[in-house]
Amino acid sequence: MKLKVAMVLRYVILILGAAIMLMPFLWMLSTSLKTQPETVKIPPIWIPKHLLFSNYVNALKEAPFVQYFINSVIVTTVTTLGQLFTSILAAFAFSRLNFYGKNILFVIFLGTMMVPGEMLIIPNFVTLSKMHLINTYGALIIPWLASFFTVFTLRQTFQSVPDQIYYAAKIDGASDWHYLWHVLVPISKSTITAVTVLQVIGSWNAFMWPLIVTNTEKLRTLPVGLQAFTSDAGTNYAWLMAASTFVIFPMVVLYIFLQKYIIAGISKTGLKG
Amino acid sequence: MEVTFKDVTLSYDGKREILHHLNFTIPEGTLVSILGPSGCGKSTTLMMISGLLAPTSGQIFFGDQDVTKKDALARKVGMVFQNYALYPHLSVLDNIEFPLKMAKVSKKDRKKKAIELAKLVHIDDQLDKKPGALSGGQQQRVAIARALAKEPSLLLLDEPLSNLDARLRIEMRQEIRRIQQETGVTTIFVTHDQDEALHISDHIMVLNQGHIQQFSSAETLYDNPSNLFVAQFIGEPVINTLDITDFAGELDGQIDADILQRTQKVGIRPEALQDHNTVANTLATITTKVTRSEKYGREKNALLEFHGQRLLTTEVQADVTDGQELPLYLQRNGVYLFDKDGVRIFGGDQDA
Ligand SMILES: Nc1ncnc2c1ncn2[C@@H]1O[C@H](COP(=O)(O)OP(=O)(O)OP(=O)(O)O)[C@@H](O)[C@H]1O
Ligand SMILES: [Mg+2]
Repeated sequence: MKLKVAMVLRYVILILGAAIMLMPFLWMLSTSLKTQPETVKIPPIWIPKHLLFSNYVNALKEAPFVQYFINSVIVTTVTTLGQLFTSILAAFAFSRLNFYGKNILFVIFLGTMMVPGEMLIIPNFVTLSKMHLINTYGALIIPWLASFFTVFTLRQTFQSVPDQIYYAAKIDGASDWHYLWHVLVPISKSTITAVTVLQVIGSWNAFMWPLIVTNTEKLRTLPVGLQAFTSDAGTNYAWLMAASTFVIFPMVVLYIFLQKYIIAGISKTGLKG
Repeated sequence: MEVTFKDVTLSYDGKREILHHLNFTIPEGTLVSILGPSGCGKSTTLMMISGLLAPTSGQIFFGDQDVTKKDALARKVGMVFQNYALYPHLSVLDNIEFPLKMAKVSKKDRKKKAIELAKLVHIDDQLDKKPGALSGGQQQRVAIARALAKEPSLLLLDEPLSNLDARLRIEMRQEIRRIQQETGVTTIFVTHDQDEALHISDHIMVLNQGHIQQFSSAETLYDNPSNLFVAQFIGEPVINTLDITDFAGELDGQIDADILQRTQKVGIRPEALQDHNTVANTLATITTKVTRSEKYGREKNALLEFHGQRLLTTEVQADVTDGQELPLYLQRNGVYLFDKDGVRIFGGDQDA
């Protein structure tokens, strides 16, 4: 009996948690189908009278979203792959190689994780403008090609692989390079998938940085493009939410498919996302 | 391939020496065991042979080639690790193929070779499984097949049987012996189990605290232990060890006074305490008291008291009762005397 109560309680809490998490998402979907007056109605309504699918068509016509979409894809892909590449190499060095100053360097890098991202915006902006990279893909990509969070997560995983596997690979004639890509990386697949997905989501949703370093339509990414619905005359919430749905959709699909890996990868390294 | 160590010393931290001035030669085509208690430096020795670890000083030769400066990649040995170290993401077949892939053998050839090896170690019915889905014994065979894949001239095995149950251990050690004899590969087998070493090897190197105690055949180790450590380490039940002061003249006249003078410890094999006199072989007679006699299976042991010390014999034939006085005859070929450094000065072949 006691067990049953605990069980019911557990489910109630989980359901409540899930509901709270889902609320904004459902609100977005609902609003994206409302008429303009319905979006600002008090008290708010959840289910619009008529489902206005035309909001989607109109919203996408409002700005060159195809261009934005391409930009987002390019920036996300290059950033993620680049960051993964540098992080895998760095994590390997920190976990397996011996070099002068390794521990001090590691501690310094670890320290950088404590600096809030917002504080880096201005110095990064100044650096990039001195390099004449403002308003280029470079500005959107280069600052994100290294991430110590990813390095750290991967290092933890790499270190959990027994030394003897490394020795076995050496005996079998594998160089460090071969060992890294043919043994270590495949073994660490779940963590790598997890950090990849986190990075993809982060890049895809990035708003502040792209907003600051680009000001042409040609380079605008999707989240920045959503600003099109905010004008001096107010915000068209229905269209904004329709476009937002369109922006978020790929990430939701990605998450659903890779959920298993993400959870496994994160719980394995004992890190939160 | 013949392996030679010349004055090899190793220290991990530059302060404490783990292995001290090792000198030995392992003859081509033989199976040699490195035997010693935990922490004596067996794995370290193996790591140096494989090239995963460089000696602090000294030289290592393969045949007459000096390989001291060559790393594991260049030495091309095969090795089975204590925990097998199979690649968890690869199937059995891919694990065996891995060294061949590294050696850039064509896909077709390496598959053929891998299947051949899988047959040799009787694992060809498990080719598609991942290592995680195999039993310890099966994993071990895969590890052996992988180690043999590139046809190494030297096969190193680091306590490969330590994770297996008693029955499988015996089966697998016969298997290893068979594979070694079929392939003729020079094999070095690390173990801390004397039984394993005695059964599998042509020669045994006994190691303790980074020193080679003795390097010889199993029989020689048992019949002619070069020091007290080897005498105590080899043999089951363990040799009886007494101080010379425990004797009250029983050995006088039988052994040179000069030797007795230098003796500190006396070792007596349990089977060298006979309850009947075989005149030709009897060295001395001692009077003991039976404290307990026990019998299980074919074995019959008696615990005895002699001048306040405990002795064990396996050779009591007659029925004895606890507390009874029993004269025992020390057999010449199971009694050893050791000096203060533990070196054997009497018994075995160097009989005085
Ligand atoms: N990487 C290392 N760094 C420092 N000391 C080490 C290292 N590896 C082993 N040692 C030390 O060297 C000594 C010999 O170790 P080794 O692993 O060779 O022993 P072993 O004979 O293989 O023991 P076991 O039977 O327990 O495997 C031990 O005292 C151990 O503490
Ligand atoms: Mg060991």
